[in-house]
Amino acid sequence: LTIAVKDATETWRDGRFRWAAALLFVLLVAALAGGIQHQSEIARQHADAQRAERDTWLDKGDMNPHAAAHYGAFVFKPVQPLSAIDPGLDPFLGVFVFLEAHKQQLARHRPIEDASPTRRLGLLTPATAALVLLPLLVVSLTFSSFAGERDQGTLRPLLALGVSRGALLAGKALGALLPLIPILLPATIVGGVLLYLSAPADPDAPIAARAAGLLGVYVAHALIWTGLGLTVSARARSQATALVVLLALWFVNAFVMPPVAMAIAKAVTPSPSAIEFAAAIEDETDTWPNWDQRVDAVMERFLDGEFESTFAPANVEVVALLESEAAETALYDRHFDALFDDYERQGRTYERTSVLAPTLAARTLSMALAGTDAAHDRRFAAAAAGYRAQMLTTLNRELAESGRLNTFDYVRGRDLWEKVPPFDYDAPSAARALTATWWSAVVLAAWLAGVSIAAVWGVTSMRLES
Amino acid sequence: VIGFLARHEWRVLTASAVVRLVMVVLSSAVIAATLLGAGRAARDQQTYAAFTQRAAAQRSRPLSFGADVVANEKGWLAIVPPAPLAALAVGQSDVYPSYLKITARNLDSLVTGDQIEHPLALASGHFDPAFVVLFLYPLLIFAVSFDLTATERDRGTLRMVLAQPVRLRDVVAGKMIARGLLLAIPIVVMPPIIGRIPFGAEFGVWTIAVLAYGLIWHGLALIVNARGWSAPANALVLAGIWLMFAIVGPATINLLIAVRYPMPSRVEAAVQARAATQEATVQGSRQLGQFLQDHPTSANVGRDGMRQFALLQAARDRQVADRLERVEAAFDAQLERQRRLADWLSALSPTMVAQEVLLDAAGTSANRFEHFRAAASGFQREWQNYFEPRVLDAATLTGGELAAAPTFVYEREAAAAAVRRLAPSIAGMIVAAALLLWSGFRSYRRYEL
Repeated sequence: LTIAVKDATETWRDGRFRWAAALLFVLLVAALAGGIQHQSEIARQHADAQRAERDTWLDKGDMNPHAAAHYGAFVFKPVQPLSAIDPGLDPFLGVFVFLEAHKQQLARHRPIEDASPTRRLGLLTPATAALVLLPLLVVSLTFSSFAGERDQGTLRPLLALGVSRGALLAGKALGALLPLIPILLPATIVGGVLLYLSAPADPDAPIAARAAGLLGVYVAHALIWTGLGLTVSARARSQATALVVLLALWFVNAFVMPPVAMAIAKAVTPSPSAIEFAAAIEDETDTWPNWDQRVDAVMERFLDGEFESTFAPANVEVVALLESEAAETALYDRHFDALFDDYERQGRTYERTSVLAPTLAARTLSMALAGTDAAHDRRFAAAAAGYRAQMLTTLNRELAESGRLNTFDYVRGRDLWEKVPPFDYDAPSAARALTATWWSAVVLAAWLAGVSIAAVWGVTSMRLES
Repeated sequence: VIGFLARHEWRVLTASAVVRLVMVVLSSAVIAATLLGAGRAARDQQTYAAFTQRAAAQRSRPLSFGADVVANEKGWLAIVPPAPLAALAVGQSDVYPSYLKITARNLDSLVTGDQIEHPLALASGHFDPAFVVLFLYPLLIFAVSFDLTATERDRGTLRMVLAQPVRLRDVVAGKMIARGLLLAIPIVVMPPIIGRIPFGAEFGVWTIAVLAYGLIWHGLALIVNARGWSAPANALVLAGIWLMFAIVGPATINLLIAVRYPMPSRVEAAVQARAATQEATVQGSRQLGQFLQDHPTSANVGRDGMRQFALLQAARDRQVADRLERVEAAFDAQLERQRRLADWLSALSPTMVAQEVLLDAAGTSANRFEHFRAAASGFQREWQNYFEPRVLDAATLTGGELAAAPTFVYEREAAAAAVRRLAPSIAGMIVAAALLLWSGFRSYRRYEL
């Protein structure tokens, strides 16, 4: 403990550390404040838009139910409260889906399309501060732990004093972590309070468990880097070597591995480009009968007596409409499922590579807990598709059950529009988000255990003189 | 004298283990990035070729000769080929459409085919030559130049060198030139050879931008060295500068932009568009419904009926499109304004300026997409002029008419236009580099031995 206090005090007295720490604190708080402001603004826009859209849907006046299906509905992606901490993939995902008859679309208007290209260089968020900048500070605190003492020749005298190597390791680890507490604790508290104040009191979106999980991931990640720093410091030839090795590890983890992991994932599971995806759907619809052929086919079945006797000949068109609608929905569902399956496989490959880079695992978990990863997006897309099916079923059933000879002049009003419930989407629980990314959780835990063992091994086997 | 010193320094550098490691890292990064980029560009080129062929095949064997089916349902895919320098930077090509569906209708005439890719791939960025230039190159510049004179001074050998008839300024210049060439050669020469990049005006712009960007970082290294600190102190300060300029700076500026100049909301625009077109849509669908009520099945519509239906549809589309245009124009104007304001902020970071120039030179920036979109828009008018009368006439096309229909071939933006657009940014980078180098050499005058 004496070592820890001595190291921590030395670090605190170092002007450079104080500058770096103050900078990290300012960046963390700025990122938090900016993130929360941005997030609540977007959340407000989406909630307002969803309300306005509901009013438009209800007040659109009288029309034919099938025309209403063509009129369609917008579904806006609800913003997760914790996206203020880690916006994750949100800037790269569409913000709304237009649901209409006959066609199914991917969510449109990814914010990244409107942003200037420099946005691709990255955005300062609490998550990047915790996963990219904090490890760097940890590296600067640990690289000289043993290598520095060895370079100065104080390592052997220190052990000669009767300090056990285990106590030395514990002291050095604590000594590196203690100076961080005065920055991280206030930042966490400020963040927690801001988040609590700005989060909507939505009982459907419990964020306490998710927020605690995020904190746990960031702490575990910082501990992994502490262990890495101590191990490298114990084994390196000099403190300069230790610093270079650790900086290289940091650069690879933070900047090289994410794109490389994705390149590997795409090589393993290629996914179609936009034009190929659209063409695959078109190729199938090209082989389908056209409208007149469809109606003729149903008419033949009607003449064969397939339908009940009360069935009017004019209803043949409604049956054709319902059947084509069902075929279209199945077609789009199949293609979208295949696309999302490809993406899921790519995501899994990306996760697998986190064995090589703990920051990838932490990043995956961070996005999952914030509710801003691909799995959450898929869940939303599924909810939107389900809502579309529900809307079309409600409207089409009305046509089928109208019992009218000619359904095209069949006009309905607000009472029918009200039968389509408003769109409601609830994010899954923290436990669900975690089970989807169990691999990353295991990898992060394994890294933590691994670097702890490595640090102990490094300290017991280290040379005492340079 | 400087030339002699530079040659000497070159021999010293190439014998150093650290420098060899740096060269291995740089070369393998450039090779890997170029191969990845070239693979991607080759795939895009294949897709382009395949779909251009497919369009020709569909034109010769259409599913139907009905004017409406040909002009609107099938339409024409305006496809943009990958840029000649696409292997150098993925840029925004993974976001913006590589094709637009063209129809003769006023509404949805340019249906976007936004590029689709795993969102994680967009968020992770790409390991392409542009990445190596923007992030790794500065880091390696610092790695070879954090110790220009510090160790030699501390050992006293610098004093001995200066006992010869050479000036300190020339010694430092020689060191800088050797280091500059050492890193610049692989980063400029390797990509075009490995990625088979055509040499042209665009590649010239790319090369000048890379060199100017490198000089900015060399200048920063020179200024820090001139302060007279020890080598480890230099290394630490330079690492901090790299972190601030290349990583934290852009990230913070992006946060500032997001908070201070948020892009107009697409969500609000969608609601506004909905409100603006509501009346026209509802009225139009009522008229169409009325028509369908009079003509319940297509069998008894007849050609006159089809004509009437096409007219009704076109009238509704025009009304909706007119109203939509106003909302969209307002949105685009606001987007443009916010982008200009944001541009001002990004001029503060050399990495951000260099990124914009590199992407534009590589042809994967928003500018090339805008150019493609404008070209596709012009083609859409041509398409509409050709087909609209035939659609309104509910005509069945003859083989000759079909063959004579317009086709879209993308013509690249003139290189001169791109050069003119990028000249201010590049000039700014060169001026910044010159200023940094000048002030570095100036402060070396007060270097204490």
